[in-house]
Amino acid sequence: MKKLKSWPVWMLMGVIVVALLAVGATKDSGPRTQGDRIDAISKRLACPTCDGESVYVSRASAAEAIRTQVARDVASGKLTDNQIIAGIARTFNAQVLLVPRATGLDSLVWVLPIAALVCSVVGLAMAFRRWKRQNLGDASAQDIALVERLLAQDPTDDENV
Amino acid sequence: MSKRPVAPYISGAVGVVLIGLIVLFAFAKPGGGDIARSPLLGQPAPVVQSTSLNGPDFDLARRKGSWVVFNFFNSTCVPCRQEHPFLVQFTKDQAASANPAELYTIVNDDSDNAVTAFFDTNGGTWPIVRDDDGAISVAFGVAKVPETWIIDPDGFVRARIAGALTAGYLTEKLNELKSQYTGTES
Amino acid sequence: MFSAEGLAGPLGRGALLVGLIGAFFGMFAAISGTRNNDPKVMRLVPRFAVLMCVATVGAFTAMEWAMITRDFSLAYVQKVGSWSTPAIYNFTAVWSALEGSILLWVLVLTGLTVGIAVKYKTRLSDPMVGWALATMFFVSVFFFVLTLGPANPFAAGAPGVLDGPGPNPLLQNHILVMFHPPILYMGYVGMTVPFAFAIGALITGRVGEGWLVETRRWALFSWGLLTLGIILGSWWSYEVLGWSGVWAWDPVENASFIPWLTATAYIHSVLVQERRGMLRVWNLSLLVATFSLTILGTFLTRSGVLNSVHAFSDSDIGPFLLGFFALIVVVSVGLIGWRGDKLRAPGTIDSPVSREGAFLANNVIFSVFAFVVLLGTVFPLIVEALQNRQLVVGEPFFDQLAVPVGITLLFLMSIAPVLPWRKASGELLSQRLFWPAWGGIGALVLSLALGATGIEPLLTFMLGGFSGGAALRQLVLATRRQGWRGLVGRANGGMVVHLGVILIAVALAASNSFTHSQELNLKQGVPVSFGGHTFELVNFSEVVDARRTSISANVRIDGGQAYAPAVTKFKSMGQNIGTPSVRTSFIKDIYLTLEPPVKATSKSAKIKVFIKPMIMWLWIGGGLMGVGTLLAAFPGRRRRPTDPVSAPVPTEELV
Repeated sequence: MKKLKSWPVWMLMGVIVVALLAVGATKDSGPRTQGDRIDAISKRLACPTCDGESVYVSRASAAEAIRTQVARDVASGKLTDNQIIAGIARTFNAQVLLVPRATGLDSLVWVLPIAALVCSVVGLAMAFRRWKRQNLGDASAQDIALVERLLAQDPTDDENV
Repeated sequence: MSKRPVAPYISGAVGVVLIGLIVLFAFAKPGGGDIARSPLLGQPAPVVQSTSLNGPDFDLARRKGSWVVFNFFNSTCVPCRQEHPFLVQFTKDQAASANPAELYTIVNDDSDNAVTAFFDTNGGTWPIVRDDDGAISVAFGVAKVPETWIIDPDGFVRARIAGALTAGYLTEKLNELKSQYTGTES
Repeated sequence: MFSAEGLAGPLGRGALLVGLIGAFFGMFAAISGTRNNDPKVMRLVPRFAVLMCVATVGAFTAMEWAMITRDFSLAYVQKVGSWSTPAIYNFTAVWSALEGSILLWVLVLTGLTVGIAVKYKTRLSDPMVGWALATMFFVSVFFFVLTLGPANPFAAGAPGVLDGPGPNPLLQNHILVMFHPPILYMGYVGMTVPFAFAIGALITGRVGEGWLVETRRWALFSWGLLTLGIILGSWWSYEVLGWSGVWAWDPVENASFIPWLTATAYIHSVLVQERRGMLRVWNLSLLVATFSLTILGTFLTRSGVLNSVHAFSDSDIGPFLLGFFALIVVVSVGLIGWRGDKLRAPGTIDSPVSREGAFLANNVIFSVFAFVVLLGTVFPLIVEALQNRQLVVGEPFFDQLAVPVGITLLFLMSIAPVLPWRKASGELLSQRLFWPAWGGIGALVLSLALGATGIEPLLTFMLGGFSGGAALRQLVLATRRQGWRGLVGRANGGMVVHLGVILIAVALAASNSFTHSQELNLKQGVPVSFGGHTFELVNFSEVVDARRTSISANVRIDGGQAYAPAVTKFKSMGQNIGTPSVRTSFIKDIYLTLEPPVKATSKSAKIKVFIKPMIMWLWIGGGLMGVGTLLAAFPGRRRRPTDPVSAPVPTEELV
């Protein structure tokens, strides 16, 4: 049993996971129906009258009309998803786009989340470094050895909180 | 172990950001905005071909030579109903003018009966064009009825009025456009 | 003869005025009693709380009475009342618009204040309780002012009105309107209690670890109710709105979700404080953030600066809420700045690979995600203010950021439950994670065998198996040791909650990634097949009553039972409301909507079919989260605080 849970087995698990994920990621997901395409496109368009709802979600008549237009474009089979969206954004101005662009002021909505994440992770890393320094600074080598020995002995290590 | 005071600095920084946000909200306009802009202004009008509720089939291309006004309408929309008398007045004014503009009501997502009943009760005999699949509304980028659009005799889009009309505004706007207009006719 | 007509208005207004006076005096008594350490004054405080609560119950009853008797002398009844509304939706109409929902808010808030005053009546001399009660009263004063000023439900209406439009058609279509708003409010408003204790801690400058357990339990209950409210809201959206989705990142949904995120961070990180005495200031900040975000969310969605499908009509409530939010921010940030350093704990966290390290990672993710959702919600306002330009931030933006967050959280949920406090060794992790990891691989193999594709859903399923394995491992070990008692207590109950979350994550990934939909033009009597099922239009049925005209298409699925998606036109609104019809099962839902144009006399119908896998597990997961919260609130079996951690857990009951 102990042997089973050794590092080579974990390596094997890692290999299996990567291989399976690779298979799954490259496998063909089957044909998309026209309905799926219409849904995917209308999820990326905002209903112009309903403040924040997508065309996919909204039952307003303007959304209904845009959905019909998307259905027509999809049925004609000539345009890609992006072309259809660009066409509709042309008549309605960019305010029907639900995904903010990555240029100018709009890019802030993408940059700030990443900045927040990076700041918190860096902050946390610095805190850990400080704590480590503090711990070592306060304790003598003897103390550390004592704590390590006790930690190693602790049989319950407290799974039940 | 040194314990530098950090709380005042951190909370101070957070406070400043939040106060900025509050000031921003305090000056945010509630809803709406200027939607009377349109990429179509100054461009040839989209193709409009459809059936009519009370007359022959409609084709915008054949209306070249006269000013055309489209009013996007729905019988359940309150501002549409409120602006109706001004449209009736507008057609009366136009009938008396030298170069009358043609008014068309365009109806999406409504029942024929409701629209006909509304016009019977409230007056108005101009053509009512069906837009059952919403193609016309989407081509013009109509966000929210009522919207009123003016197309010049060459078939170029000249004005978009979003929201309900006020008394006399449409006639005024049309006259202003007519005076600027230097098309092939004049 | 005596007529009750028109009495509700004066009665309700009077009751609210009494409530305001009670709240004001209660606040005054709590502050002066605490400052002067005067037990006589403090004894008055619970009475003021009861007075204020009784008055609110009276006002709420008056409102229900006015609604039931259709007292159209009130503006609010004119707005949401109608003779044709069925009794149950007429009852719920009370909270279907702004003024009534604020009244419901006050009802919950005053009830909670009484709850605190009664629960801690023997400890009123503790300044912590005094200040917490003062805070509760202060918040109550604000909300009473709202109900008497800009959101007055008892304002007189125009004379001569004999009937009204009734509530929004979407709010008289499904029984869930009975449960979703009150439960959500209980959770939302419940966050005031831990906030009040946080303010108490900041003012007294003492953390009082004993109070922490109490606050944690209040926060846990509020969190559980908020969770339940959000899930019921998604269910309502699924059953009523007809786009087959459960979550649209609408501003109102976000307004309840952002405080939920910070509260979730709190109920995790508070364990570090209980155990190690650390993160005190951070925990207080999370409580303050949670409460202020409920106010900010209310401001954003009720003042008209952001519109949404839930939009309440315009009112003058905006400046009040914004002012209140500003006050809370200034006071709490000021208090934290003043007291923060005094409250800070001297301890340290030894290793990132430990239980407390995992809780810290959890907190980073939840707070950053709360920030992201808030940013996306208010970003249109920022752009409009700076560049005078309209912009929409919608579902695709939030989805793109939510997927990596969800996957990271699933990963954390796999590792964290097996981590010991202080420090973990590689060997220990390898021991404990072994079977959960195989659970993940099993889930991956199973989902591939069932035909799942795509890296994101597969990762979700795999980590779902992994984290599910980790949660089950804890529960199995605990029940093996302690029998059914191994299911209660915060760690074990928490694992039940985790299982619920995992089910929801898996259900969301499956239904978002593998939904297929198609619009079918069905002719009467001719079956059409799609996605392995056949659909046949049987006939139309039409129901006309005083309130509405409803046309439903009866569609037989696979030659069996007929399902009837409908379109309803409410006379008062002239608005078409689609009602979907769903064949539900553990494996997949078949979701039908009737698309326009709809004519009852027609021989054909346009039906949109969505085939959505695993949706059912979303509701099961939600239920499990609720059950888990209850289990976690039960005091579990612990070591006596004086025992060394290596001592065995006692077998006698120990609370």
